Amino acid sequence: MSKSTKERAQAKRIVQEQLARERRRTVTLWTTVGVVTLLVLAGLIGWAAVASQDKGTSGKLTVPPTAVDDGTAFARGSGPVIIDIYEDFMCPACHQFETGAGPTLTQLVDAGKVTVRYHPIAILDRYSSTEYSTRSAGASAAAAEGGKFLEYHDALYANQPPENSAGLDDAKLIELGKSVGLTDQAFADAIKNKTYTAWATKVTDTASARGVTGTPTVMVAGKKLDNPTPEALSAAVGAAGA
Amino acid sequence: MEIGQTARTTQVWPWISTVARLGLAAVWLVAGGLKVGDLAASGRAVNAYQIFPYEIAKVIGAAQPFLEIALGLLLLAGLAVRLSAGISAALLMIFIAGIVSAWVRGLQIDCGCFSTGGQLGAGVRPAYGWDIARDLGFLVLAGILLWRPRTRYSIDGILMGDDQ
Repeated sequence: MSKSTKERAQAKRIVQEQLARERRRTVTLWTTVGVVTLLVLAGLIGWAAVASQDKGTSGKLTVPPTAVDDGTAFARGSGPVIIDIYEDFMCPACHQFETGAGPTLTQLVDAGKVTVRYHPIAILDRYSSTEYSTRSAGASAAAAEGGKFLEYHDALYANQPPENSAGLDDAKLIELGKSVGLTDQAFADAIKNKTYTAWATKVTDTASARGVTGTPTVMVAGKKLDNPTPEALSAAVGAAGA
Repeated sequence: MEIGQTARTTQVWPWISTVARLGLAAVWLVAGGLKVGDLAASGRAVNAYQIFPYEIAKVIGAAQPFLEIALGLLLLAGLAVRLSAGISAALLMIFIAGIVSAWVRGLQIDCGCFSTGGQLGAGVRPAYGWDIARDLGFLVLAGILLWRPRTRYSIDGILMGDDQ
């Protein structure tokens, strides 16, 4: 009698264990399906977000007519050797490069040896609370349309805001324009209406597609200079045949 | 004595695993949260590794923060912990491989682990060693969960009918 009770209890336990195992299996199966679906969805959301961003910006794109190189740069000089400079107006290393190599660039341009193409890219928006990289790149395009790209470019570096600040506001950007002779309403309007914001994104995207991963990136005749000192610049231009 | 010890270890592990689970959840939520606000920059951070063409790097960079946040939420809730830990471990190993490859090729980049990364300025030394050590630490958390996925306060526990 007692033996059969024990056996029955044992059988009951075995059945219960089996049921528990089955439950575990079902739960594991469905949570796995759920989790994989969720992760795939999460990835797709990111993809969709970028795809819609691309579509949104291309609709509003205004390419400055004077821009060269697929509408992504402003040229200075007309010499045979091409120097491509990718810079961000927020980037302190670019400021240093401009201070150090600026006179050499001017010399090379004046001697008719090089064409400098300035690509104002915006990769440091996170260092200001106002996306100063993008706004200043757009403002430089507006300056180019007023025929004062280089002057405005130099003014932006001379007044470079520190990293992790608010950057220069639109009023200051317009004021700097006035200081280099950009006094017309068209320049101020382009800054206020963010005319060239989408263009700044396009220039940045084009640069990234070309393998530019930081600023300043300086290329002489298509070859990247690892350390763009004035000496390296002159040497590379010499080697490229000018 | 022997049995007492085993019983105690059995009781302690769910707590250790719970700490690992919440820790790893925090890692993913912070990592994803810091990148999700600027997907274009996240794409450029992937591009800086110079492994994928830019078009592909852009898609990876956009999907990654959402994936990280989703993993973080799963671990926080304790749903499919072993699977989430396995995917976390796989991702971490991919990240470590990426950092090692950047190191070996002498690239001067920020790993973009908890930021939108990119190339470092002149004179800034990359911290690849630290980045890898940190990722290995996270890998240990994932390993604990792979080995002992049972945790306290988890949806898994409720679904499986564990005593909470």
